Amino acid sequence: MSARYGLDRAIARVAPVLIVALVAAVPLLTDDRYLFKVLTFVGLNVIVVTGLALLFGYAGQISLGHAAFFGIGAYSVGYLTATRALPWLAAVAIGVALASVVGLLLSLPMLRLKGHYLAMATLAFSEILGVFFVEASAITGGNDGLRGIPFPSVGPFKIATPGASYLLVWGVAIIVVVLASNLVRTRPGRALRAVHGTELGAQACGIDTGRLRVQVFTLSAGLAGLAGALYAGVVGFVSPTTFSLEFSVLLVAMVVLGGTGSITGPVVACVALTLLPYIDALVPGLPRDAVAFLQDWEADISGIVMIGVLLFAPGGVAGMLRRSRRAGDAS
Amino acid sequence: MSSSELLQFVVSGLQNGAVYALVALGFTLVYASTGIINFAQGEFFMLGGVLAVAGVRFGLPLPLAVVASVLVSAGIGVALERFALRPRRDSGGLVLIIITIGASMVLKSLARHIFGPNEMALPAFTPGPPVIIGGAAIDPQVLWIWGLTFVVVVALTLVYAKTKLGRAMRACSLSHDAARLMGVDTAGVVMLSFGLAAALGALGGAVVAPLTQTAFDVGARAGIKGFAAAILGGLGSPVAAVVGGLLLGVLESLSVGFLSSTYKDVISLVVLLAVLFLRPQGLFGRAGKEKV
Repeated sequence: MSARYGLDRAIARVAPVLIVALVAAVPLLTDDRYLFKVLTFVGLNVIVVTGLALLFGYAGQISLGHAAFFGIGAYSVGYLTATRALPWLAAVAIGVALASVVGLLLSLPMLRLKGHYLAMATLAFSEILGVFFVEASAITGGNDGLRGIPFPSVGPFKIATPGASYLLVWGVAIIVVVLASNLVRTRPGRALRAVHGTELGAQACGIDTGRLRVQVFTLSAGLAGLAGALYAGVVGFVSPTTFSLEFSVLLVAMVVLGGTGSITGPVVACVALTLLPYIDALVPGLPRDAVAFLQDWEADISGIVMIGVLLFAPGGVAGMLRRSRRAGDAS
Repeated sequence: MSSSELLQFVVSGLQNGAVYALVALGFTLVYASTGIINFAQGEFFMLGGVLAVAGVRFGLPLPLAVVASVLVSAGIGVALERFALRPRRDSGGLVLIIITIGASMVLKSLARHIFGPNEMALPAFTPGPPVIIGGAAIDPQVLWIWGLTFVVVVALTLVYAKTKLGRAMRACSLSHDAARLMGVDTAGVVMLSFGLAAALGALGGAVVAPLTQTAFDVGARAGIKGFAAAILGGLGSPVAAVVGGLLLGVLESLSVGFLSSTYKDVISLVVLLAVLFLRPQGLFGRAGKEKV
């Protein structure tokens, strides 16, 4: 048993190093632009999903509006760098700050709300912002969106190739995931789990649940803003269709598939669900029809996966990982 | 703005409001019997319109196509409850909400696959020139909307107040356990409320389709509006849902008249947020306390 435990710990120590090595090795193994692009999107989603995993999987708060925070980050960077010619790093900082502040301001009145009310409030907020993205055309370019957003650059150092963008996004994603994994192992993480159990019980244990809920919502909004901010520079184009309700729901689907109370699970699910419609980037020989089918049926597959996971494997990916570990213990 | 213009805006507000009311009734029914919000409710609105159009294209006479679309939608609603929600009934609100969100994704996407991505038109129930009342022109279809909404509300209120089934539904909304101990088939009531909610949403979608056209993607918006109406009314009685719907419709329409049509959709969202933030129990509800 203890040997097993030691092995588990060894795996837990080694796995992150291996993953980082793998992520860093990709540019050495290939120079496929399409693959880099797809993997960059995966990395961006990983950043958002990590925030949502804290919000939903740990604190039990649903948000159907995180696409809007993603949009705030993306439009901020797009507008500030393309129109105002601000340095990229400053624009990213402003975009993240703006998304966090909006998240903070939204989470305060939402403290009274729970469950479906919370879901609807975030949904309404993101729809309002969706109208704003289209109507505030002086800033957002309206339905046409913003074009010609400059590449990310820090001083003379410019990140202009798909490979560099990939490394930038995944570098940030890995930092975010590591920080989040550390966070949930400490006092605030345990407090979040207590809120998920019962909020009244958590309060009775002396946890300021209101403060905690505001903090975790703000953090997750800021992470969505960060992903959006990176998106703008990397893609070079921002339009309102990207920040739809569908995107918000897809993000929630990733967390659900990943399982609650885990960061690893949602990240694995996020990689899988994001890659699904672009699977041809990994498996080059795939027939075009199969890929087209996957893209066409993406929403159905995500929806069915969502329902199926909750019906038959409520623990999600994280639950399966835990169970296989326990089965190993028993033998 | 002249008085006849104002009247015209009120009429169009009451037209949309009656449709919101039908969707809101669905939210209210399901909430009363299960305590959850069915995020797929808007998709039944979509199904009502889209299936009716499909029925007409298939060759069914219009009234039959509408009835068939309402019945098929009700069947899908019942199936959703029976196969996707009931197995996880005891696992709490969060899980059930996510399941209905997943269901709405699947329904919308399937509708796109089956009926295509384009807008579809349903013929008017009774074609003819608009009726002029007090300087406002009212399309005959609007009279259908009002008439059917009125009939539905009266029937629902009567069923709620007078019949054994209504008593069972009210008992379920108070306490599932107590109702079951008194011999109420609570599982049956829950399934029925999902079926009824789907039917009402579908009726709304079918009856407004001749005026607005319909497509696979109209569900989300209708769902949000219907929910805003339901929450405005307080998720309590059928009458409250209808008042909420009509109020929201008129508010929206007047804001188009006085401000700009750009903000039509924003109004209902702002109303929704305002009610949630300031008075979550709705205009007619009473505040509750969380029980330990």
